[in-house]
Amino acid sequence: SCSVSRKNSNNNSCSFPVLSYLGIDVLVKKEGTGTELPMTGDKVFVHYVGTLLDGTQFDSSRDRGEKFSFELGKGQVIKAWDIGVATMRVGEICQLFCKPMYAYGAAGSPPKIPPNATLVFQVELFEFHGEDITEDEDGGIIRRIVTKGEGYTKPNEGASVEVHVEGNYEGCVFDDRDLKFEVGDGDSLDLPPGVEKALQAMEQGEEALFTIKPKYGFGNAGHAKFNIPPGATLQYKIKLTAFEKAKESWEMNTSEKLEQSVIVKEKGTQYFKDGKYKQAAVQYKRIVSWLEHESSLQGEEEEKAKALRLAAHLNLSMCYLKLQEPNPALENCDKALELDANNEKALFRRGEALFVMKEFDRAKDDFQNVIQLYPANKAAKSQVLLCQKHIKEQHEKDKRLYANMFQKFAERDAKVSASMCFLCSIVKCD
Amino acid sequence: MALEQFSDVVQRCQTIQDENFSPVDFDLFQSAGKTCIEQGDGAQVLSIIIDDKNTNIVRCMGWNLLEPLVKVLLKKEDKNRPHCHAIFTHIIEVCSSKELVVGLLEQVEEAESDAIAEVIILLLRPLQTVLLKLGKKKSSSVGMALSTVLGQVAQLPVPLSKEQEEDDVFGLCRCCTALLDFIRPFVEEVKENIKHSRSVSRDDELKGEILKFCMKSLSEPLLEVQLKDPDTLEQSPLRDFATEILVILSSIGEPLPNLLCHNMLRKREVPGFLEEEVRYPKESLACLAHLLFVKHIAMDIFPAVLSPIFLLQCNMEYVELLLSRTEESWLQKGLELYEKSLVRVEDCSLPVDLLDLKPFFSVPQNLVKVMTLCPVQTVRTKGLSVFQLSIDKFTTEAKYKLFRCLLKTSEHAGVEGYIIKNIKNQIDLSLGPGNENEWFLGKHLLPLLHQVLRLPQGPETDLLHNLDRIMESLNLLRYLLIRDKEWENETGIWSELHKIEDSFLKPLRMGLNMSKAHYEAELKNAKENKKSSGTESKAAACTVTVENERLPNMTPEMQLQVLQSALFTFDLIESVLARIEEIAEAKGRV
Repeated sequence: SCSVSRKNSNNNSCSFPVLSYLGIDVLVKKEGTGTELPMTGDKVFVHYVGTLLDGTQFDSSRDRGEKFSFELGKGQVIKAWDIGVATMRVGEICQLFCKPMYAYGAAGSPPKIPPNATLVFQVELFEFHGEDITEDEDGGIIRRIVTKGEGYTKPNEGASVEVHVEGNYEGCVFDDRDLKFEVGDGDSLDLPPGVEKALQAMEQGEEALFTIKPKYGFGNAGHAKFNIPPGATLQYKIKLTAFEKAKESWEMNTSEKLEQSVIVKEKGTQYFKDGKYKQAAVQYKRIVSWLEHESSLQGEEEEKAKALRLAAHLNLSMCYLKLQEPNPALENCDKALELDANNEKALFRRGEALFVMKEFDRAKDDFQNVIQLYPANKAAKSQVLLCQKHIKEQHEKDKRLYANMFQKFAERDAKVSASMCFLCSIVKCD
Repeated sequence: MALEQFSDVVQRCQTIQDENFSPVDFDLFQSAGKTCIEQGDGAQVLSIIIDDKNTNIVRCMGWNLLEPLVKVLLKKEDKNRPHCHAIFTHIIEVCSSKELVVGLLEQVEEAESDAIAEVIILLLRPLQTVLLKLGKKKSSSVGMALSTVLGQVAQLPVPLSKEQEEDDVFGLCRCCTALLDFIRPFVEEVKENIKHSRSVSRDDELKGEILKFCMKSLSEPLLEVQLKDPDTLEQSPLRDFATEILVILSSIGEPLPNLLCHNMLRKREVPGFLEEEVRYPKESLACLAHLLFVKHIAMDIFPAVLSPIFLLQCNMEYVELLLSRTEESWLQKGLELYEKSLVRVEDCSLPVDLLDLKPFFSVPQNLVKVMTLCPVQTVRTKGLSVFQLSIDKFTTEAKYKLFRCLLKTSEHAGVEGYIIKNIKNQIDLSLGPGNENEWFLGKHLLPLLHQVLRLPQGPETDLLHNLDRIMESLNLLRYLLIRDKEWENETGIWSELHKIEDSFLKPLRMGLNMSKAHYEAELKNAKENKKSSGTESKAAACTVTVENERLPNMTPEMQLQVLQSALFTFDLIESVLARIEEIAEAKGRV
């Protein structure tokens, strides 16, 4: 790493080591009012004017009328900026003298900047804040990076990660562990969803502080074991020591996908046996996403893929029934039936889903279909009876409801005609 | 006759209260009016139209006369024209804006294909006037107008040469200029909104329509256009159009760096998030990147502080998109964008981690396809030069990984040969003082050498088909045996030589002998056939298949030539093989 020489306008050195031959000089023209320094990954907002050594201006954010913003310390800007702006405070104005090695080097930056150019920037720092890493940018998870990581990739869903996690609520540490797990499993390890989202935004070796709002924390349930009340905003310090990405769909060829699907199916089944239906569903969904669009499969591979997809959809429907989410259960049954039109489990489970959705007629149809095709299925028989009972009850209810309604209308009409007569009688009288 | 009908219906309508005109009235007004105009009675129609007594009638029905009026206005020399122009102007002034927008856009949509440019240039100004009258509710109408007009403009042929752009026979340049004038007041309105609210709301509808227009223009026509530099063509309406589009984007709250890096900075890893892809189509952004970095359009408003590697990362997605198509203009642009992004980066500076990112992984493979399959020779040549440029920019470790990956996936002997030559250069560099590394020397080199120094299908490998690869492999081996002294064995080649003999040299020798014998026999046959049948030989005695395709029947002379050149090739291979065996033997290792 590089040291920066900082001087204020009186040419007195400030608190940073003076090694100006390294190529970045920072001359402070106006001290800032803020006390904090921005951290790596923070979004910073500046105005700047860039000139060559001979004074020619080549760029100015002020001329554009809009502040320039970027993520500090991430290599988005020339090195001199990543290093120099990190020494500034809010409200500060300084001049950055950047030797070519920390600017655009021998290549320059056509068309504005010639090769081997030393650049001079006057920069004013207006504000900075931690990075919002949520998808919807709702401010639910804010990151401040303590140590920058390396590499360009981040853990994805299913990646295996090695981490150190320290959870903090109102100054008290409630969780302090070294963990090794797969992204997606966090729930079973008492990690809130925000932590898993945080991990997917981190680089190898990164250490960062995350402020997690309740929506991504323990929500309204709180967490008894950790003594966290409902609606709590949490602080987590996370270090991502190492990770190995789970392969993306496009990274695998067909045989790899089939291989992985078998592995993942077993994982799902294990989760299911342990009663962890959500995690099981995650695994089965991966099979679907990998194999759903595999076209041009032939022979044995095609058979295998079809079988895996069918199993995935059937198992997903069961997971969703257990999770009491009949709609996705229904969708998966439909998909299973597309692959195998008379599949016993698919028809039965679809019936179950429809039953939960109170669509008793349609449910009955599915169960009767099962009985027709698979006469040995006793469960279907009893389900049909159950449906019939509910259908009858529904009719009774409807009858009573309508009966009441008509009664009400009749009563109301009577009242109206009564009052009408009364009015008429008034009018008639003279 | 028609004139009487027209003035009759107008007179009758004067008496109708509250504008309760019947459909019959409308129809008659339209058909009679149309006929009058077509017959050249413009003057009389004009006098009826501008009569105060008829204001309400004209306001309700006038816009139905647009079609015949436009027809007359398109004909430059028509003595009816000045009257029709006056009628047209009056109608634009008094009729309801909503109906006028529909009527005018109908005319644009239905323009004959050879009149598109004329119609657009004629109608854009009146359309603008009408839209400005709509006040705050204009956004969706403006959007509709822009998309209709642009849809028609996209059908105009794009000028290719400088002369074609100057002549502008089909009017694309004039339409683009007219579009800029058209959109100006709406852009100003959005800028005012921004100033007052201090920020741009995503929901600002008018801004949304202008954004849509800019994005659409970037894809059609700008992606197809080949802009000329100022030295080639000083005044270029197309260049002005491109510049203005970028300036507009910047001024309505869509700064260019944000657009460029849009995909990179997105938090969502899930590809194909519909709303964003529709709002910021990748093709349009690819064109934007090309305009900025290859043509340097609007670079004066683009910040000069972004790092070259970051810009390369942003642009790789667009390079990937452009190189994944087969149209020559896309490929050319993809190669140019890649090249211009690479030259900003220092040699040997792109780290191996970048290859984990999808575009960095797939662009080299797209390049291989371009170099081997594109029918246009200039594109193939450029592809090769950009390919080498990209290799030079990666660090040693990244080069290693890239070479191994491409040797596995390129499936083309020429490309493999080219890569093997690069490998040889890297080994040569590594053997120089101060350049040691563990990738082209040391423990990683040997697996690479084994991958290179082998025959893909053993002794049955088609030597002619794989010639490039085989020759480069032999050259590499010969180089290693000469350069790396046996007692130093820096590359480890000497300890591996017997393995390489088994997997490479022996099968090659065997295949070579078989092939030579086969072709020599064929050559003898062919010579005898030619002698015996004289100069009027007909059917070919042997068939020659190249890459599973049977060549058309050749004359005996051609046959002889083909067979001879095959034998020469085998001699070539053999000479290098012999030299290698010589060197190896001299060290007593065979």
